[in-house]
Order: sequence, then structure tokens, then C-alpha cells
Amino acid sequence: MKSERNARLRSPTRKVAAIAALGGASIAGLAVVRHRAARLGGSSLRLERGLTALRLAARGGARYASNAPRLFASAGEHREALRNDLALQTAEDVAATLGTMKGVLMKLGQMASYVDDGLSPAARRTLSRLQDSVPPMSPELAAQVITEELGQPPERAFATWDPEPIAAASIGQVHRAITLDGRAVAVKVQYPGIAETIEADLGNVALLRRMLKITAPSQDVDALLAELRERVTEELDYRREARNQQMFARYYQGHPTIGVPQIVPELSTRRVVTSDLADGARFAELTSWSQAERDLAAETIYRFVFRSLYEAHAFNGDPHPGNYLFHGGGRVTFLDFGLVKYFTADELRPLVEMVKHLCVENDPEGFRRAMEDAGFLMPDAPLPTDMLVEHMAVFYDTVRERGPRTMTGAYASAVTRRFFDFRSPLAAYVQIPRSYVILQRINLGLFALLGELTATADWRCIAEEIWPFVQGPPCTPMGAAEAYWRASRTGAGQADVRSEKSFDLS
Amino acid sequence: MSAEPYASATGLVERYAAAYVSAVPDHAKDDGLFGPASVTWRLAADLSAPVAGLRSVLMQALHPLAMAGVDQHSDWRRDPVGRLAATSAYTATVTYGDRATASRAAQRVRVIHEHVRGVDAVTGRPYAAGDPALLLWVHAALVDSVLAAGRLVGTPPQDADADRFVSEMTVSAELLGVPREVIPASVAALEEYITGVRPELRCTPAAAESMGYMLDPAGLGEEIAELWLDIRDAAVTALPDWVRDLYGYPAPPAITPARRTEIRQTLGVFDAVFLAEPGVLETRQRLAVRMRSAGKA
Repeated sequence: MKSERNARLRSPTRKVAAIAALGGASIAGLAVVRHRAARLGGSSLRLERGLTALRLAARGGARYASNAPRLFASAGEHREALRNDLALQTAEDVAATLGTMKGVLMKLGQMASYVDDGLSPAARRTLSRLQDSVPPMSPELAAQVITEELGQPPERAFATWDPEPIAAASIGQVHRAITLDGRAVAVKVQYPGIAETIEADLGNVALLRRMLKITAPSQDVDALLAELRERVTEELDYRREARNQQMFARYYQGHPTIGVPQIVPELSTRRVVTSDLADGARFAELTSWSQAERDLAAETIYRFVFRSLYEAHAFNGDPHPGNYLFHGGGRVTFLDFGLVKYFTADELRPLVEMVKHLCVENDPEGFRRAMEDAGFLMPDAPLPTDMLVEHMAVFYDTVRERGPRTMTGAYASAVTRRFFDFRSPLAAYVQIPRSYVILQRINLGLFALLGELTATADWRCIAEEIWPFVQGPPCTPMGAAEAYWRASRTGAGQADVRSEKSFDLS
Repeated sequence: MSAEPYASATGLVERYAAAYVSAVPDHAKDDGLFGPASVTWRLAADLSAPVAGLRSVLMQALHPLAMAGVDQHSDWRRDPVGRLAATSAYTATVTYGDRATASRAAQRVRVIHEHVRGVDAVTGRPYAAGDPALLLWVHAALVDSVLAAGRLVGTPPQDADADRFVSEMTVSAELLGVPREVIPASVAALEEYITGVRPELRCTPAAAESMGYMLDPAGLGEEIAELWLDIRDAAVTALPDWVRDLYGYPAPPAITPARRTEIRQTLGVFDAVFLAEPGVLETRQRLAVRMRSAGKA
């Protein structure tokens, strides 16, 4: 029966992904990906594969402190009333609402939502609709989870507990509270039973295969499934997120403009994560601030991303606009560390070499060798080096020369377009190794964000401050403040980072 | 048999969704024939509903006179999806509409039925769509299928709820002109009735052709077609053996717990697709709120 089914599924006319069905009425958009794949054929599919992995690694969507913190965005005027009337009251309600693949689809949707080229608008609408369909937990159910996880009901575990959630998280919700020792905190509470439900649904390899087939050639589906399961499983355990956030919080402690809410470890478990409560302006608000403010915020985000990468060897793969709070003067609070990638020195080295050869030493052959070493480029690819450089230069455009440059939406989409350009003669020889997949979100997420802010800065000069092979002097007031912070940091800060990191390297 | 080919099933989900949304009132004047506390509402919202729908069509088609009426009079071949969507809109209106709207819908169907008369080419018997015997078979097939699908891949109804459902549903047969006294009002009576009708049932060429189409509708769209495979497997498995024998479908293997989970997951994906159609989420939320408050009362 089983093999018969599989045979049926494998037949060419049935070569379908149900996720395309998520597009509902107009699925055609997603099919584009497959048609592209067909055009490419054979071995040139490697880039495509990388993109699919990227799509899987990507996350976004409504979550803690998201841009528009949707709490069960029911349509219509009676949102508040509906929210209470439809609240999930039992673990059975959770299973009925998020079981039978819906939770998995939501996660898949979040992962895909960042990459605009990956999903048709219809498919994205469908996935966001699914997200809208999930009501919050009732106060009683949230309290039950707290009791199970912390050993006592919220009104005893905390000095004050707000039973009304303040934001939706992808598989939970966020409550405000004050701890017994007086800290104002945000408490993320996971839906009870959701981990088991999603894990069970992830076990349906056949259906997931069908869902993924459209975005991947068959031989890769297993690898993709493994990737998806890994990512989702990681996220189901909030302890990992707490550890990540703790690492970043320690690393940036005392930083003049970068803030990361501290974790409260004794109130964080597998299904509950408690951190300092942060408040500030949302990204949507920031876009209405003065250009000077926007430039400063952009500079902070830029510094955060590249300092984390080059010095802490860590990359927070979630540059979603909802994950920032803005306080003016360039001060930014960074939220949500559910998806953090740690790089080994060996993994980082070729990336550093690429930048160094292209932007500092102006050595195209060295750049090419570094690309090959990183596994981005097949060795001995029949491509002239200048063509390679010309194609790749767009990714380095903002840091190749000194001088103020403005990030624009047009630049961000040019980068995205180039990234997704399967017709390029390079496509057959270029791929993204799995360990770097998440990094491409710098192109797709960070640049899009900075482009939306139309942020201007001398990015090259800032980069030189950060590049470990340059370590240039401060070139902005923020750079000067940062240099002071770095100089005044105790050695312990560094040691902390290393120990946390070794904790998480896997 | 007219050999007109079947039209494509494009838009099945969209048109079903539109039918559903339009059938549920925004502001109901009353709770209709069943109401938010009914078993009928609960089972209508079950994940197994698409399986129930397909199974009931498979059952209904076996009555040669009912099949002849559909085949000779409706737009079935030209617009099968439209025909199914119309039936589904009617069922949803009777289920969720207020009493006046449900009665008007039934009245319209009765008027249409007046014109559906003829002679079945296979049996040579005359038929009339308004014949209570045919209406009762169509009714019983639906009621039986909701229970069978729920038991196989849905939330299995408790025995008492199953009886209550059969009893609640009698009102919809009555609405179309079936005398109350002949309508089964319990599971036992329903089974007895079905057994009694069996000798009349057969797989006519029209039924074989129609159901061949239903099991593998052309133009469904690759993605939905993929999901349809599981829905179809479940519907065929949920049929009584003798129905499968009439069609000549091979006996399916018993559904293992793992396979049941798989089918439910497919139904979940199908439901997510349905949910994304315009208005479906809002409609569901309205119904869910009413059912919740009825449950509390």
C-alpha cells in the first residue's frame, strides 16, 4: 500500500507540493520556482537547493513584539470580544487548532515569509491567514502552563501577573509581569501540547515531502526535511532561545546604543522564557522619524549585525522589523533570539578572506580562491574571474569604497534579484553551503530593512572599524562611543561569550 | 446515455468556500433549524467533512432513479463543480441559516424538483425528483456518511450523539417534503432503512461514470488533486463493503492508526487551503463564538 502510494506520488503528473495549495485560488506564483528548476535542469540546481534551505531557515511573521503585534487578528470590529470568546481553553483546543499540520504549516510559513521571491502573494496570504486563525490562550490555560513549568501559579511565581497577553508569539504568547524581586519582565508562554503536536506532524515525511517537492528536486527533500525538523525542533525548546539571548545580552552589556533584554534564568524553562520587559517605538513608527534618527538607528543595526558576526561569531538570523524597539539617539533594543547561528573560526575565515580580497586588497583571484574555499564556487568553474567579480560585486557595493552611501529599497531589491537570478551564467557553479545559508539573510533582510529607512552612512568606514583585518579608528560619534565601550569592557565579557558559545555549538 | 464529457473541476475549493460563506448569515435572526448547541453544527465543522461529502455522493449515486435525475436534468456534466457547490450551499443554508431562509431555500428546491421528471433508461422506470422515496435516500446517505466519516477519520461521535444527530437531521428531509413518519430518527432506524433500500441500488453506467469522475476530477489543479487522493481513499474506505462491491472497487486495506493520522494531516492541509478563501475565517469565527456561548449556557 505504502509503496504503491509513493509510486503514485512520484509519477510526473503527480509531482506536486501541497504547500502550493496553500496559495489557494492562485497557486501559480509558487509554481514559478518549480518551472525555474525545470529550466535549469541537472546539476545547476544547487543554487536552487540552497535557496530552498534558505527559505526554510528564514523566519518572520507575527511574533513577540512584532511590527503590528497581532493578537489573533480576527477580521471585523469585535476583535477584543472575539479574542476572549474564542480563546484556547484546553490543551485539546490547542491540538484541534494547531494539530493536523496547521502548526507545521505556520512554522513553514514563517520560515518562508522573509524571502519575498520564494512564495506567491497568494501563498503568503494563505499562511498569514492561518496565523490569524489562531486565538490566544485563555488566562486560565496560560496560567496552567506557568504552573506546570515554574511549579506555582503565575500570581505566586510573580509579584504581579497580567493575565491579558500583550503580543502573539508564533507558538505562544507574551505576558507582562513583575518578578518577586521587582523586575518588570516579558514572559513568553508556549501553547501546551504544541511541541508534541508539531513533532508528530513533522513525522509525516510523506506529506512533508509532497509539500516540499515543489521547491526542491527530489534527491534533496530528505536533507530539507532534516533541516526543517531541526529548525522547528530547536524553536520548540525555549531554553535554547534563552541561552542565545543571554549570550547576546552579556556580550553587549553596557553598549552605548545596542540593548538586549536580560534573561531571567530561574523563570525560564522549556516552555516559558522570561526576560526584562522592553518598550520602545516599533519599526513602523521609526519610518516616520527624522532622517537623522533613522540613520542612527540603521547604524546601530548595522554595527550589531557585523560586530556579532565578526567578534562573537554569532549571527541572529532574524532581521525581522518586528524584532527591534527604537528609543531615539540610535538606541535600539534587539529582541527574539530563537534563530541564532554560531560560526566556527574555520567557517568564518573564508568569508573574511572574500571581503578582504575584494574590498581591501583588490585581488580578484584571491577573492575567487576564497569563494572556492568557502564552497560557494565550484573549483575550476569555466568562468572568467572578472565576470565572477562583476556578478558578486553587488553584494559588496556599499563597502567597496569610502564615502557616504544611501541604502535604498532599489538597492535591496537589486541585491535580492541578483541573488535569485537563476539565469545568470554563474548559477550552475555557485551554491550556498548549508552552514552559510542563514548568512544570506544579511542580503535579504538587513539590506531590505536599511533600504526601507533610506539610511545614509559611510558604511565602508564603519565596516573598517569592525573588520578584524583592519580594525580602523572610529569614524562616527557612535563609533567613538563604541570604541570607549570596547576599551572599558572587562575581559570577563569576552570569556562569557566563549563559554556560552561552546555551550551552543553543535 | 449521453456521452457529453465532464467539464473541468477547476475552482472546487473556491466555489465551495463561496457557497459556505454566503450560506451562513452575518446576523442571524434566529438559530435556525438546529442551533449552535446541536450535534449537527458540531459534526458539520468536523475535519472529516470533505470525506463525508464525497462518501455521501458515492452512496446517493447508487439509486438509479436519483442518478438518472441528476444525469438527465442538471448541469452536472457541463458544470459539475457548480452543481456540487449548489448542493453544498443548500446544505449549509439549511444547517446554519435562520428558519425563514432555510424554508425559502427548501421551497426553491421543491419548485426545481417539480420539473425534474423522466424515465430512467436503465431500469425503464419513471422518476420524479420530488418523490419522497428518492429524497429520503439522498437524505439518509448524507446522514450515514457524516457518521461514517467522523468515525473513520474525524472526531468519532459518541453513540448518544450519533442518535441525536440522526434525529436532529429528520427536519431537513421533512423540509423537502418527506413525511415525518418515514424518516429514520435513530442510528438503528437509519441502518434498517438503508438495508431495506439495498435491493433497489445498483451501479448504472451513469453512476459508474459520474463517480469515476468524482474520484479523480479533471482540472482540480495538481495540488488539490494530490490532497484529493487521501480524501478519496478515506471516502472509499468509509463505504460499506456492499457499496464498494456494487461499484467494483477493491476492498481497501484496514486503516492503521498511522494511516489515519496521515489522512487527518491531509485534511488539515486541505482545511488550511479552505480557510484562506475570502470570508471563511470570519464565518468560522462567527459560528465558533455562537457555539461556545451556547455551550456555556
